[in-house]
Amino acid sequence: MQLTLEFGGGLELLCDSVKIHNVNVNPENGAAKLIMKDLLAWVRANLIKERPEMFMKGDSVRPGILVLVNDCDWELSGQLDTTLEEKDNVVFISTLHGG
Amino acid sequence: MACNSSTCQSSCFRNEDNINNVGEHPRDTVPIETSKNRTSVEGEQPSPCVKCKTNRTISAVGSPSGENGGDAGKFCGDCFRSNLYGKFRLSVTSHAMIIPSDNVLVAFSGGSASSVVLQFVHEMQHRAQKNFEASRDRSLPVFGVGVAFIDESAVYPVASNKYDKSIQQIKSIVYNLPPPLKPLHIVPITDIYPSDSGGKDRLGKLLDAVNDITGKEDLILHLRMLALQKVASEKGYNKLILGSCTSSIACHVISSIVKGQGYSLSADIQYVDARWEIPVVLPLRDCTAQELNLLCWLDGLKTVELLNSRRAGINSLVSSFVTLLQEENPSRESTIVRTAGKLKAFHFNRIPEINDCDMPLATQRRIKRYNQKPQESISSEFFCPICNSPLDNSELLSLSAHDGSQSSKLNVCCCSSCKFQILPKDPTLMEQFYLLLPQQLVSRPKSSNHGNISLLR
Amino acid sequence: MEDMEAKEPRRTGTRLCCLCNQRRAALKRPKTLDQICRECFYEVFEEEIHRVIVDNKLFNPGERIAIGASGGKDSTVLAYVLSELNRRHNYGLDLFLLSVDEGITGYRDDSLETVKRNEVQYGLPLKIVSYKDLYGWTMDEIVKMIGLKNNCTFCGVFRRQALDRGAALLKVDKLVTGHNVDDIAETVLLNILRGDIARLSRCTSITTGEDGPIPRCKPFKYTYEKEIVMYAYFKRLDYFSTECIYSPNAYRGFAREFIKDLERMRPRAILDIIKSGENFRISTSTKMPEQGTCERCGYISSQKWCKACVLLEGLNRGLPKLGIGRSRGLDNGDAKDTRQSSRTKQIESKSCGTLDF
Repeated sequence: MQLTLEFGGGLELLCDSVKIHNVNVNPENGAAKLIMKDLLAWVRANLIKERPEMFMKGDSVRPGILVLVNDCDWELSGQLDTTLEEKDNVVFISTLHGG
Repeated sequence: MACNSSTCQSSCFRNEDNINNVGEHPRDTVPIETSKNRTSVEGEQPSPCVKCKTNRTISAVGSPSGENGGDAGKFCGDCFRSNLYGKFRLSVTSHAMIIPSDNVLVAFSGGSASSVVLQFVHEMQHRAQKNFEASRDRSLPVFGVGVAFIDESAVYPVASNKYDKSIQQIKSIVYNLPPPLKPLHIVPITDIYPSDSGGKDRLGKLLDAVNDITGKEDLILHLRMLALQKVASEKGYNKLILGSCTSSIACHVISSIVKGQGYSLSADIQYVDARWEIPVVLPLRDCTAQELNLLCWLDGLKTVELLNSRRAGINSLVSSFVTLLQEENPSRESTIVRTAGKLKAFHFNRIPEINDCDMPLATQRRIKRYNQKPQESISSEFFCPICNSPLDNSELLSLSAHDGSQSSKLNVCCCSSCKFQILPKDPTLMEQFYLLLPQQLVSRPKSSNHGNISLLR
Repeated sequence: MEDMEAKEPRRTGTRLCCLCNQRRAALKRPKTLDQICRECFYEVFEEEIHRVIVDNKLFNPGERIAIGASGGKDSTVLAYVLSELNRRHNYGLDLFLLSVDEGITGYRDDSLETVKRNEVQYGLPLKIVSYKDLYGWTMDEIVKMIGLKNNCTFCGVFRRQALDRGAALLKVDKLVTGHNVDDIAETVLLNILRGDIARLSRCTSITTGEDGPIPRCKPFKYTYEKEIVMYAYFKRLDYFSTECIYSPNAYRGFAREFIKDLERMRPRAILDIIKSGENFRISTSTKMPEQGTCERCGYISSQKWCKACVLLEGLNRGLPKLGIGRSRGLDNGDAKDTRQSSRTKQIESKSCGTLDF
């Protein structure tokens, strides 16, 4: 599944200062669909190069990191249970960096 | 007591004036002494107790796991114990928490704080008894002590064998204390309802109507207080002693702030809270949970693991936050309580009208010194019918703007925190919710002065 | 830029905006839990700030206002929204951007580039005051001398004064800063944790320093950080977000983390903390330090010399420890419990990288 992942608000520093990543992620172990929870685990394993605790807490993002799926707040689409589809655009923005 | 002797060299509670110094500069006093000891005692020998300078410290003798630093590393068992008892005694005497003519009820949950408070109250009573027997005229009566346990199994179900075992343990703790004998009242929380009205059923429905888990937990706390007040009043007690300690009060400070109760906060955290029918006193306010746990371990005080009302929601988040802060800095809980203690208390935060001629003169003097000046303006406060918090200005404003329609009365009289986390959101459910509440709660006087506003006309 | 509607709502559970009932909801408001679309969000976001400005009488027509601009999200959104509202509601304000150049290579020089772009984008005149000009030292030079301990103390003290001096140069009547409701809630908690009752009593005021040279106010006092970031993202505002190189982990504070955990569990708790802060029963007799002026530079000070001059004297005499640590309690009667900055860093977060109170 082709996805575009975007890191902002300082989170790009955790992945070699690259803001936009075009990636190919597939559901694991024959699961029918890919949900945000799986994607976060994948991002942590494959894109985050340092201090993963700045990105995740437990199996979700750290509180204070905003997530948008196709420019829609993931709090509206079920957060960790949000189902991802082909060509989706997922944005992570930290609110924790200085203002 | 060793602590009150003028030869005491340590940073303990030598005299009343010292309290503030010790509290204000924990880093100035304690580390200096330990470092002095470290340099003076060379080699294998561990530093002796910082107070008596002779006995080995608790941790040197062997302390419970995880208790290596802090007081266990500074004091020997005896000095630690007399320190802690000294803090308790100072709270009691300086705020007139217990006077000879009193009959006090100790709220006992089975945790380490209530075990310590029961033990200390017992020791105090025991000493008073000895003085009484030794005195010629036997003029000073000995205060009475009772113990109440609120049985919340109706709310937090437990297996019956585990429950029976816990009740047995509580009985053995209370009845095994040396005389004078202390009556034990085991009170089901459902006693807040009249005996013939199906209390368990009503309570269950009431709690089911609260959706917010923090709100539900807080409501149970309010009901527990109601049950304690009821048993104290019915059995003829005139003071209610709680085991709230620095650590639990620090958590209460933060959670009150988080719930928007900055105004009423200072009412809850004073040594004395006389807004209740039976005044409530907190003699362990200056003792931390770590100290209380250490004492229980040292003295083999039994605690009961019962229906451990797990904290949830906001309260649990706050308690892990405070624990984290305390790990980072061992005096953090005290700082939190001290800061909140600087907020202005309410006029009911002292023992009302003390003109008891039985009271020794010294006690009267102390009360004068510590109680708030009576001339402080006695403002009239209105109280939330659910949590009994004094209402702040914006809440009073909505109270006066109230149009008087029957169904919305509860919604108008409650503080904003109870409105949000306890009352039903749907106004049509309000009437039903009102009927499920225990009557004492809603018929409690709503104002500290006259001019009660009654909830129902 | 505005082509986001291209994708059809396919996901089950995609909901409509609860305000206009027409467009797809784009976010959940923490304040109200409403699900609203981007257009309605812009409107309520801006109008709420307008209400705060009007209800609290923050500005008078004809005033000159400096916006403390760091290039970060809060001040960028503040500059954008304020110039927008000034036009829309005819506030009649002369707005300026005011930035402080601490002299931190690789951090402030980059963020200042952002502010310079904002100057052009929003048509607001920009004034930059630098530590080098004001004090003769850049933060790079200070850190070279004193190391990474206490450097935030220097930076904080110098920044506060630099903003006032810049504001005086611009001859403005007020200084506005981008502190949001999360920041203020954090400050309430920190003051409780530190035992600072004097600061506790004034940290929730929307306007402070009315007795000083230049009053400061916080139009974002009731604005959630989440909404500020969402607004900046949807509007594609140009802001800078990198951690200060001298305090890379400053934003990992316990208190901030707690507030974010709290927001996830109960979003309104952040506003409740502000309510608590406004309602604390603090006796009015709490002594505020006597305000005088610094004998050396003329800046307001409760002491003979202001804090910046004490620190500067230490630097110039090669005794950088001067004025650090316990003596801090002096400029604030109640701050006996102030921890050394190395300790405080663990509980607080935004000591750096932002415009200080």
